[in-house]
Amino acid sequence: MTASPTPSDAPDARELVRNLVGLEADARSDEAPVAARATLATSERLYRELSRWLGSVGCHALFTRALADARVSHPLLTGVRVQKGDQPYFEGTAEIIDAHGASATAEAFEAMLVTLVELLGRLIGDDMAVKLILQSLPEFVRDTRSLEARRPEA
Amino acid sequence: MKEKKRSPVRNLATGVPGLDSVLGGGLPEYSFNLIAGGPGAGKTTLVHQLMFANATAERPALYFTVLGEPTLKMLRYQQQFSFFDHDLAGSAIQFINLSEEVLDGNLDEVLKRMVDEIARSKPGIVVVDSFRTIRENLTQSSEHTTSSLENFIQRLALHLTSWEVTSFLLGEYSESEQRDPIFTVADGVLWLTQAVDRNSVVRKLQVIKTRGQAQMPGLHTFRISEDGLQIFPRIPERQDARQLQSRTRISTGVPGLDEMLGGGMIAGDAVMITGPAGSGKSTITTQFIAEGLRKDEAAVIAIFEEYPKDYVARADARTPEIGEMTGSGKLEIIYLRPLDLSVDETLAAILEAVQRLGATRVAIDSLSGFEVALAPTFRIDFRESLYRLIGALTSTGVTVFMTAEVLDGFSYERFTSEQVSFITDEIIVQRYVEIDSEIKRVMAVIKMRGSDHSHGFHLYETTGKGVVVSGPLVGYHGIINGCPTFHGAAGSPLTEDRLTSRDEARLPLHGG
Repeated sequence: MTASPTPSDAPDARELVRNLVGLEADARSDEAPVAARATLATSERLYRELSRWLGSVGCHALFTRALADARVSHPLLTGVRVQKGDQPYFEGTAEIIDAHGASATAEAFEAMLVTLVELLGRLIGDDMAVKLILQSLPEFVRDTRSLEARRPEA
Repeated sequence: MKEKKRSPVRNLATGVPGLDSVLGGGLPEYSFNLIAGGPGAGKTTLVHQLMFANATAERPALYFTVLGEPTLKMLRYQQQFSFFDHDLAGSAIQFINLSEEVLDGNLDEVLKRMVDEIARSKPGIVVVDSFRTIRENLTQSSEHTTSSLENFIQRLALHLTSWEVTSFLLGEYSESEQRDPIFTVADGVLWLTQAVDRNSVVRKLQVIKTRGQAQMPGLHTFRISEDGLQIFPRIPERQDARQLQSRTRISTGVPGLDEMLGGGMIAGDAVMITGPAGSGKSTITTQFIAEGLRKDEAAVIAIFEEYPKDYVARADARTPEIGEMTGSGKLEIIYLRPLDLSVDETLAAILEAVQRLGATRVAIDSLSGFEVALAPTFRIDFRESLYRLIGALTSTGVTVFMTAEVLDGFSYERFTSEQVSFITDEIIVQRYVEIDSEIKRVMAVIKMRGSDHSHGFHLYETTGKGVVVSGPLVGYHGIINGCPTFHGAAGSPLTEDRLTSRDEARLPLHGG
């Protein structure tokens, strides 16, 4: 993540995303392919929850930018579109899973989420970005120890 | 008849310096407030300060954003203020976007979403920014009439009160819109303005109403700094509240001047010394302050014309106490030179230092520099402003020593250029006179309330040890016009013997 004006205790963006996806995967262990579905579900959930305080227009703008940036390193996202609404979703995901496989799809969506977290960090600071993401997903962090436990040992 | 017990209204501390005083003791809890003003007036910052001062995890603040400043930008910019607490943002302070509900134009949905969020979070504070955009968006729809909007406001106010919420609606309104129903329903209305006057911008706050308590009337200037808003309440005219002194005499630090004053200044008085450039006003001022420091009194000097280090350096030779004690907790030099000052801001800075240091002596050096440092709009009311400033300062019991420069050293009839002599208890006038083809300096006490004093013009000199006052000039006429003539006994009285001052025998003024 980007440097904050003051020293930051915020977790690394990728670490945060993997923790969130991991928690989602635990809840979807019976849905194959787990990793891809968990990453996608995390993305949609984050979109929905962040919309509460950013507004759907603001949230859509952020995800669109994150998706565009992630396409550079993961061209398979080219066919994916973010659809607004009460139940936002990523159009075209089934096709890329079929075409590129679940693992590559999960990796691409993870890259998009990392880009999103980093973008938020640049706009409002890393600490604030992480905090607002975690606040947006209260059930994921109700027991923050579970998140902490998933962090790799330093 | 049994006396009815009043239900007390608890007031919230706003966290905005000066605002609680203006509101009459804080913000009534559960009140429904409107904060109105133009773009950039400081509405959003004001309400953020208020939220960060009051929001807790148990009683959070909900900030509803509506088609105004995007939440991301608001967070980005508000973080720059010192009051922004990262630990509170996102948890004790939550941001909720209402744009879609408002764009849909359904008042019931807007209200339902707000009430749902309130029921979910049970906040102590709710902010709607901007309420004006809700109103405009809804009134554009033919379905909505003025009465339906009034009904919406009424229902919103009732819901917020029922949930025991203190609420703030922010909006850009003009004065002509005060018939808007929101002004009727609101318990409190705060109006923020910023006006450009030549090259200065002056921000003002007015409390239009606060139900149930007496607010401070008038327009109060405020400044937005990295600490957020600071309100400078209009100085109450508190001359009547002036603390009665025991008429104790205190030394000016210039023995000859003390003698002219009948034994020194009277503690708690406002004293003005006027004279042309280079007449020694600042020298006497620093001697007055140094005298207090030697007696273990604390002091404050407000300067406007030069930087503190330059002021200290200049004073150092004659009054090293100034440099030695600056910043020690006994002396504070306040430097104010932004050219858009208000008198109230100046007073706030001086009073804060006086209270912090427990100061008994205050010097304002000079009134002329102070006038220039004010925003143009305040220079118009300079006399009235000074009246309030001096009244407020002396009501605290401090002795105030002011300098004022008069431009014309030879031909003036007036003694003070600011025409503010009515605000002072004592006036000392300095001037140049020509005697025997030499420029001499004379000083006289022309006003001293409730005390006898010298009525003569006294020669004085500024020496390496400070100002040294001689005896009165005797036998001269026309001193007041600058060109006196001697009508005394034969021979000039201004001999070297006469110029040897009584003060010099009393000096040194400090140290050995």
